[in-house]
Amino acid sequence: MTNKKKSNYIPKDKIGNNSVSKKQITKNNMEKDIKDKKVLKEKNTSPKNIILSIKNASYRYSDAEEDDYALRDVSYEFESGKVYAIRGRSGTGKTTLLSLISGLERCTEGEIIFDGKSLNNMNLDKYRNSDIGIVFQSYNLLPFMTASENIILSMDVNGLKIKNKKEKAIELMEKVGLKESYADRKVLRLSGGEQQRVAIARSLSYNPKMIIADEPTGNLDKQTETEILEIFKKLAHEENKCVIIVTHSPNVCDTVDVIYDLKKVKDVSASK
Amino acid sequence: MFILKNAWISIKRNKGRNILIGIIILIIACACTITLAIKNTASYLIDSYKSAYDKEVTISFDRTNMMKGFDSSGTEGRECAREKFDNIASFTVSDVESFADSNYIESYYYTYSVGLDGNNIEKAEIELNNNMPNGFGRGKENNIASTDFTLTGYSSLDAMSEFINGTYTMNEITDNAWEIAFDGNYVFINQELADYNGLNLNDKIKLEDEDGNTYEFEIIGIFKENEEEGTDTMSMFSNSANILVTNATAVANITTNNEDLQATVNPTFIIDSYDNVEKLQNEFYEKGLDENFILQTNEEEASSGVSSIENINSFATTFLSLTLIIGGIVLFVINMINIRERKYEIGVLRTIGISKFKLTMQFVSELAIVSVVALILGASIGAVSSKGVSNSLLANEINSSNEKTEEIGKNFGGENMNGGIPNRGNKGEIRGKGMPVVEAYDSIDAVVDMKVLLELLGIGLSLVLVSSIASMVSIERFSPLTILKERS
Repeated sequence: MTNKKKSNYIPKDKIGNNSVSKKQITKNNMEKDIKDKKVLKEKNTSPKNIILSIKNASYRYSDAEEDDYALRDVSYEFESGKVYAIRGRSGTGKTTLLSLISGLERCTEGEIIFDGKSLNNMNLDKYRNSDIGIVFQSYNLLPFMTASENIILSMDVNGLKIKNKKEKAIELMEKVGLKESYADRKVLRLSGGEQQRVAIARSLSYNPKMIIADEPTGNLDKQTETEILEIFKKLAHEENKCVIIVTHSPNVCDTVDVIYDLKKVKDVSASK
Repeated sequence: MFILKNAWISIKRNKGRNILIGIIILIIACACTITLAIKNTASYLIDSYKSAYDKEVTISFDRTNMMKGFDSSGTEGRECAREKFDNIASFTVSDVESFADSNYIESYYYTYSVGLDGNNIEKAEIELNNNMPNGFGRGKENNIASTDFTLTGYSSLDAMSEFINGTYTMNEITDNAWEIAFDGNYVFINQELADYNGLNLNDKIKLEDEDGNTYEFEIIGIFKENEEEGTDTMSMFSNSANILVTNATAVANITTNNEDLQATVNPTFIIDSYDNVEKLQNEFYEKGLDENFILQTNEEEASSGVSSIENINSFATTFLSLTLIIGGIVLFVINMINIRERKYEIGVLRTIGISKFKLTMQFVSELAIVSVVALILGASIGAVSSKGVSNSLLANEINSSNEKTEEIGKNFGGENMNGGIPNRGNKGEIRGKGMPVVEAYDSIDAVVDMKVLLELLGIGLSLVLVSSIASMVSIERFSPLTILKERS
């Protein structure tokens, strides 16, 4: 039982004093927070628009012992139009949860429901190339391709049928703050922040309903981090996408609308 | 479509590795083309040999069966065996015709022999000193035949096996000999008999049976017997000195008039397949063939002629197998390395939602594109090379075939076998037993034909699939998240 993990849902407006006080450090943050809370408040008044719900999801590696779970009994709900953060210390199962909600693995127990359909019964390849976009800390772009080729590849995998894919790729790049001239550059010639923008543009190439990001700003400086997070917020609040960020960065947590805290059961017991 | 696009991008990106794979496949394709062409040529020669050998069936005594009831208890045992031997029902020409009326038999021919005495000629014989030990010489006591001559009638040219295989060679022949040889009382006689009796072409000889009936024959050819192992070295004359060669009809005319004459029929049946021999034998028994006779085929003889070519064929098969195994392993290893190097790419593509099947198809397509180009080049180089290899393989057979053709022509008394010798019907010209009809290949297509190209295509596809197993297994087993985490 020592390995058992438990999730805690902590809506941002109910989060502990420590977190709030962190946000009061800068004026900008405070202003943004007030604005975000307004949005959140408005959202709360309307009926819940749940795009993804995790119901008692557990995951155990096939070679693990019977009671040795990497993730156990997790239940969360995610709505469209919000930015979520899933945080937790190392070993709490963040990556496992990410792989489950991004359809890279299937739950061994429980289920994840996306847009009313259980991932257990879905074609996960189709889910990954149509319904969600994934952004990684290390960008995971193909280095031998140009920025636009990486985005077009994602459109091809999705089976998107549009006349001028390059034009669409450039449009997406501009949306995330990259100039047209970057389109034909090999991604290795771009900076970290630029590569992450290309990765975000790639994830948006087939207009998914949900963006899942794994430590998207982990390799970036503070300024770039802020800009990237701003893009995510815009996507959620202006384009009604659900953005889920797996992170342990306090800065990111301060920006999002809702935080889910993954904790080990033994840690919770200890705090009690 | 994007699978092919991606495959092409990857090929261009990994030029070095793909050129290496291409060279290996090119070498394999080249070796395979040459080997397949050799196999093709060998098969052609084997078929040619086998078709040159008519599938023959002859009737002979079942000695094993005969010896079953034989006990070696001195005179009694011998008497018993003799009685048994005498009771064996022999068969006649009409029996042979009845046997030949079978679905398994394509054609037949026979020799029809009868013993006659000379009327105006003498048997070629010189009695040796009586002091010579028994069993030597050709004295009367040792002569099996009680008559002076054996008149052997052949039903057709095919039946004249002694001339075809070179035992007899024509020394002299009249101009129209082969036009009339099978239609009337004409004979070919041994040179020794001719010398002994002072006979020449167009002379007439008379033979008589036990009842004193005489039969006149005109000499249209004089032959000699070539020395062979079986020739009695203690005799002045060859075995065939007193054999008169004529046609079966002439012999039949003699036996029809005199039923008491002992005549021997030796039929040869040409069958469609050796597999039907047992059925044919049962059919013969049903038609009245004595069960002390069995059917024998020339299958062993036919097979022995192609053993050297079959060895080449089998060597080519082994070489082909080794080439494919070694080539397959090398390609597999290169692909394994390729997959390990491209693990990250696989992880990214899987993460963005490309299915395992499509990803596998991309890797297979990459290899297939390189393979097709290399196969075309390899097959072209192999085709050019294999023409020389195959023709040199055929050269000996061509020479041997030509020599045999000329030889048989000479045996029949002509400069070549077609000169003045009638064809033997549908089968075309007379060939030596097991003499293949071979000709040099003039064009590449003859060696590397559609069959070879299809085989090559099959080999190419198999190689692509075998060497793609590495990518298929890896893609199946790789967890994209694990790959990306490792990379991070």
